[in-house]
Amino acid sequence: MPKRGKLEIMRDILKLIQENKALIKPTPLLRKSSLSSSRFKEYYAELLRRRLIKEVAGRKDKHIMLTENGFKFIERYKAIIDFIEEFDL
Amino acid sequence: MRHPLEFLFPNEIGLQLIYSFVIIVCSLMIYYSTREMYKLSSYKGIKYFRQSFLFFAVAYFFRYFISFFLVFFNIQNVIDISPTFIFLGSLFIFLYSSSMAVFYLLYSVMWKKWNHSMQKIYLFNIFAILIAFIGTLFGGMGVTIILNLILLLFVSFILFIAYKDSKNKQKGKSLFIIYLMLFIFWILNVIDVLIPKFLQIYQLVIYLASILLFMIILYRVLKKTGD
Repeated sequence: MPKRGKLEIMRDILKLIQENKALIKPTPLLRKSSLSSSRFKEYYAELLRRRLIKEVAGRKDKHIMLTENGFKFIERYKAIIDFIEEFDL
Repeated sequence: MRHPLEFLFPNEIGLQLIYSFVIIVCSLMIYYSTREMYKLSSYKGIKYFRQSFLFFAVAYFFRYFISFFLVFFNIQNVIDISPTFIFLGSLFIFLYSSSMAVFYLLYSVMWKKWNHSMQKIYLFNIFAILIAFIGTLFGGMGVTIILNLILLLFVSFILFIAYKDSKNKQKGKSLFIIYLMLFIFWILNVIDVLIPKFLQIYQLVIYLASILLFMIILYRVLKKTGD
């Protein structure tokens, strides 16, 4: 299986959240992402920093939720990749 | 009998203004239509690509528009400023910005291979300042042509390496031909600014070809961004 690029991993994490009705706990997300714990933490921090996801407090523990930008990212992902390939960026 | 072009453009400044205006509009359209993609992805290649066209817009603004505004609004009557200072200042900014535009466009295709580091950006700035400094102070024919030929060789070599490593050879070929043409016409533009008489008879051809290249890039950008 070819190595996933950074943008592809980000899209995959966002997709996992979207498939879970846009709300998921961190532990199942880590499990489903097929990433090591340290790499998952890096991506998680990056997604938060870019405001593609946000943390919401649940009754017992926190949940992860897609933001409007997160939905947009999934929607525009193919166009972004096409653009990068078109101009060899 | 007057040349038909003289009816369309009563003087040279009119033609230059229209030319600069088209390039500025194309560059800014490229810059703004890629804003959302960059905002969502924070992808470095898109960032350098956008910055390149922002620098092109700044360069062409300082090429003709600034002198037009100064004359049109009669700035000299408001602020006591030497015309030589304005000319040299705008020439310096034009040379610096256009060099940075070319360097950023190169960097947008090479940043991954060059192990993305800020040092390269500092180096580009130093080179661009050096080019602007030499062009402004010693803008003679010999120095300008030698300097630009060295740059063209450097750019062609880098583009050749980028093309060789390109994943999609067919698509890459057309892109690198467009970039190479853009750099060649950028150099002709610089020569046209520094030594106006040298390329005077080909001026219109240079302008039309440059516009065509910017429009091709804009078309490819808009096709992909869906704007």
